[in-house]
Amino acid sequence: MAMDAISSPETASTGRAGTDPSRRGSRPSPRLLEGKTRLIDLKAEGQPNLWLLGGALCIAIVMILSLVLLVLWNGLATFWPKPIAVVTLTDGSLVAGEPSRTASFRVGQEVLATLPPEAQAEIAANGGYASRTLYRTGNFDLYGDDFRWVADFQARAKEFPRDMVLFERQEWGVFVGRIASFVRDGRTVPVTDPWADEVRQAHRVARDRFLQIRSIQRVEIGEVNHYLESERLRLRRAALQYSEGSRELEAARARFVEREAFYQRQFEELSARAQALMREHEAETVTLVEIGGRERVQPLGTIVRFYPANDVNLLQKLGIYGSRWFEFLTDEPREANTEGGILPALFGTVALTLLLVVFVTPFGVITAIYLREYAKQGRLVSAVRVSVNNLAGVPSIVYGVFGVGFFAYTVGGSIDALFFPEKLPSPTFGTGGLLWASLTLALLTVPVVIVASEEALAAVPRSMREGSLACGASKWQTIRYIVLPRALPGIMTGVILAMARGAGEVAPLMLVGVVKLAPELPIDGFFPFIHLERSFMHLGFHIFDVGFQSRNSEAGKPMVYTTTLLLIFLILVMNLTAITIRNRLKRKFAGSQF
Amino acid sequence: MKMVLLAGIAAVALSSHAFAQAIQIDPQLPNYTPVSGISGSLKSVGSDTMNNLMTLWAEGFLAMYPNVRIEIEGKGSSTAPPALIAGTSQFGPMSREMNQRERDAFQQRFGYPPAVIRGGIDSLAVYVHKDNPIRCLTMQQVDAIFSKTRRGGHPTDITTWGQLGLTGEWANRPISLYGRNSASGTYGYFKEVALFRGDYKDQVKEQPGSSTVVQGVASDRFAIGYSGIGYKTADVRAVPLASKPGETCYDATVENAVAGDYPLARFLYVYTNANPNQQMDPLRREFIRFIFSRQGQEATIKDGYFPITRAIAEDDMKAMGLSFAGN
Repeated sequence: MAMDAISSPETASTGRAGTDPSRRGSRPSPRLLEGKTRLIDLKAEGQPNLWLLGGALCIAIVMILSLVLLVLWNGLATFWPKPIAVVTLTDGSLVAGEPSRTASFRVGQEVLATLPPEAQAEIAANGGYASRTLYRTGNFDLYGDDFRWVADFQARAKEFPRDMVLFERQEWGVFVGRIASFVRDGRTVPVTDPWADEVRQAHRVARDRFLQIRSIQRVEIGEVNHYLESERLRLRRAALQYSEGSRELEAARARFVEREAFYQRQFEELSARAQALMREHEAETVTLVEIGGRERVQPLGTIVRFYPANDVNLLQKLGIYGSRWFEFLTDEPREANTEGGILPALFGTVALTLLLVVFVTPFGVITAIYLREYAKQGRLVSAVRVSVNNLAGVPSIVYGVFGVGFFAYTVGGSIDALFFPEKLPSPTFGTGGLLWASLTLALLTVPVVIVASEEALAAVPRSMREGSLACGASKWQTIRYIVLPRALPGIMTGVILAMARGAGEVAPLMLVGVVKLAPELPIDGFFPFIHLERSFMHLGFHIFDVGFQSRNSEAGKPMVYTTTLLLIFLILVMNLTAITIRNRLKRKFAGSQF
Repeated sequence: MKMVLLAGIAAVALSSHAFAQAIQIDPQLPNYTPVSGISGSLKSVGSDTMNNLMTLWAEGFLAMYPNVRIEIEGKGSSTAPPALIAGTSQFGPMSREMNQRERDAFQQRFGYPPAVIRGGIDSLAVYVHKDNPIRCLTMQQVDAIFSKTRRGGHPTDITTWGQLGLTGEWANRPISLYGRNSASGTYGYFKEVALFRGDYKDQVKEQPGSSTVVQGVASDRFAIGYSGIGYKTADVRAVPLASKPGETCYDATVENAVAGDYPLARFLYVYTNANPNQQMDPLRREFIRFIFSRQGQEATIKDGYFPITRAIAEDDMKAMGLSFAGN
C-alpha cells in the first residue's frame, strides 16, 4: 500500500504529460490514457479500500446500534403502565384489556360472508384487509386465556373508563376489572375510588402481613427445618458408620429422638404463629369484578400492586414504573418465571462470572509465565501453544459435556461417596452446580487468558529484565517485581475478554448446573455460608427459558427484552470495572518507568 | 336487527372459545395441609412440556416448606429415565409413558419398576394460524399431513391446504409443518398416536420447545404444528379432531379429554423411585401428596392442563404405598 501511495504522483504526472497537445498523434488517444491513469490513481490512493472499510464499519455500527436500541426500547417500555381499553363488541359483549399490538390481516371468505354489507364494503375498499388489535385481558382464572384479538369490524365502541383497575396478583397473573369492596375487621367496605386512602391503607397492611407470613415461613421455620434435617443426616451417618445394635448407634438414635422433639416444639410454635396470621390474611378479602360482571374474591394480601390504569398522572406512572423495576431486580420469580423478579438469576450470573475470573486468572497466568519465561522454546512448547489456540475453537457444548462427565459425575461423585454418604442417593456435588459450572467456563476461556498473558509478557522490554538481572535479582525476582507488574494491564485485557465470553455463554451451562428454578441463593446463614454445590439460575438461560418455554409466549416476550437489557447492562458494568482497574494499573506503572 | 344478529354470529365464530368457563377441580380432592420437619432438596429432570407445571408445583410446595430446595431441569422426556436411574434426580416428569426399554433399564438397576404419578391431563393440540378457516381434521388427515408412511390409511399424501378442502387463497398454498425435536415426549406421543407409529416427513421443522412450535405457527399463516394445549396463545387456533372419517370432531376441552372423545388426550406422568420394601422419605411423600391435592391440581389448571380426579390419585398413591390420610 505504501509503495502504491508513493508511486502514484509519478503515474499521475506521466498521465498529464500525455495530454500535452504537441505530442498528439504519436501517442494513444489522451482520453483513453487519462481514463486509465485515473483508474490507477484511485486504486493507488487506496480510495476503494477506504470506502470498503468505512462502509463495513458503518454497517457494523448500525447493526449494533439498532439491536441495542431495539432491546432498550422494548426492555425499558415493558414496565411502563399502559391504559386499559374497554371495547364493546357488535354482539354487545365487552372486552377489557391493555392494547398490546395492532396488525392488519386479510379477512377470510368465511368470516366476510357473515359480516353486514357496510363492513364488507369497507374491507373491500381496503383491498380485503382489516386491522385488529391484541388485548391483554388477563383474568386467566376466569377466562382460560389471557390475550384476545379483536378485529376493528367486531368493535362497536372503544373507551377508557376511569375506574378500570389493573391488579398484579401473586398468582394467576394480572386481573383487569373493577374493585367492588374489601373486608376489614369483619365488615365489608365498598370501594368507589381505587385511589382512596382506606383501600391503599388496607392493602399496605395486608401486604405487610403477607410478607411477614412469608418471612416466618422462610427464615424462622426454615432455620428449624434446617437443623432438623441436619439431625436426620447425623443419624443416617451414624447408621452407616456403626453396626446395628451398637452403643454408638443407640446413642445417636436417642439423641435424634430428643432433638427432634425439641425442634418439633419450635416448629409447632412458629407454625401456630404463621397460621394465626394466615387466618387474618385469608379473612381480609377483596372482591374484584371483571368487565362481564363475574366476581373473584381473594385475600387482599395476594395483590402485589394495583392502579386505575386510565387515571394515573405522570408522577404516579413513574412511581409504578420504579416499583416494578425494584421488584424485578430484588424479588424472586413467580408463576414459572414469567412474573416477579430475577434476583436469583442476576446473582447466579454475577457469582458465576466472578468465580470464573478467580479460577481462570491464576491458571492462565501461571501457564503463560512458564511457557514464556521458563520453558525452552522448542517443538514441544510450539505444540502446546497450537493446542491452546485450538482449544479456543472447540464448540462450547463440548466443554459442557466434559464438565458434566468429568467434574460432576466423576469428581463430584467421588466427593459425595467420601464426604456425604448420608445424603445419597441425593447427590451433593455429584450433579451440576455453581462450582462445576465456573470450572467448566474457566476451561472454556483459559486459552484467551494464556494467549493475552503471553503477549503481555513478551512485550516487556528486554532491557528492563537485563537491568534487573544485572542488579543481582534472581530470575523469579525479576519476573515477580519487574516483568509481571508491567505485563499486568495486558493480562487484565485477557481476563476482561474471558469474562465477557463467559458471562454470555449459555450452552455448556445447561449441562453443568443452570436450572429453570432455583430461588435459593448460593449464599445463606447456614454453615459453610457459601454453597458452591447448588444449582443456580442464569440470565442467559432465563432469556431462553422465558422466550421459548413459557406457557404464554406472548406474555413472556416483554420479560425477554427486559432480561436481555439487564444482561447487557451487567456485562457492560463488569467490563467497565475491569477496564477502570486496568487503566489505573497502567498509570501506576507508566509513572515509575525511567 | 338481522344485521346485528349476523354480526353476532361472526363474533362468536371468531372468538371460538375465548371466555371459556374456568375448569373445575374434583371437589373430593383434599386440601393440602403441611406437616412438620420437611426439608432437603429435590431435583426433577425430564419433560420440557411439563417444565412449567413442575415449576408451579415447586412454587406451591415451597410456599409451605420454605426450606426445601427444588431444582428443575427440563430438556425432554427422554432425559428423565437416565437421571432417575443414575440417581441424579428424584422426580422424572414425562409427557409420555416410559417405554419398555427404559422400564427394563430401571428394573435392572433397582430390582423394582419405577413408580408413576399421573399429575394431570394434557390434550395435545394441532395448531393452525388464527386466520386459518379449517374446521376439522380427522386423524387420518393429520397422519397424511405429518407422515411420509401414512400408516393411518389416508390414500394420498397431503401437502397443500386445498387438499383439506380450503378454497380461495389457501387452495394452492403448501402446508408448512412444525414439530418437536426427537428428545421430546410430545414427539414420541404424536408419532405413536397421530402417525400410527409411522415416520415424520423430512419437511417437519423440529423446534426445541413446546412454545417455539406455537410461535412458529403464529408467525406463518400457512403453518400447522402440534404442541400441548397449555401453550396456546391468541395467535393460534387448536383444530377440532375426529378419530375416524365421518365421526364428530371434538375440541380440545377438558370434558372431551376426560370422556376420551378427543383423540390426542394423554396423561402427564411424573416418575419416581419408590422402593416397595421401604418407606418413602418424607420429602418426596409430601411432594406427591401435594401434587394430588386441590392446590396441586390448581397449579395444573394454571398451566393450561386439565386436573385429574380423586380416583386416579388414589390408584397412584396406593401403588406407592401412600394414602391421603398422610402416610
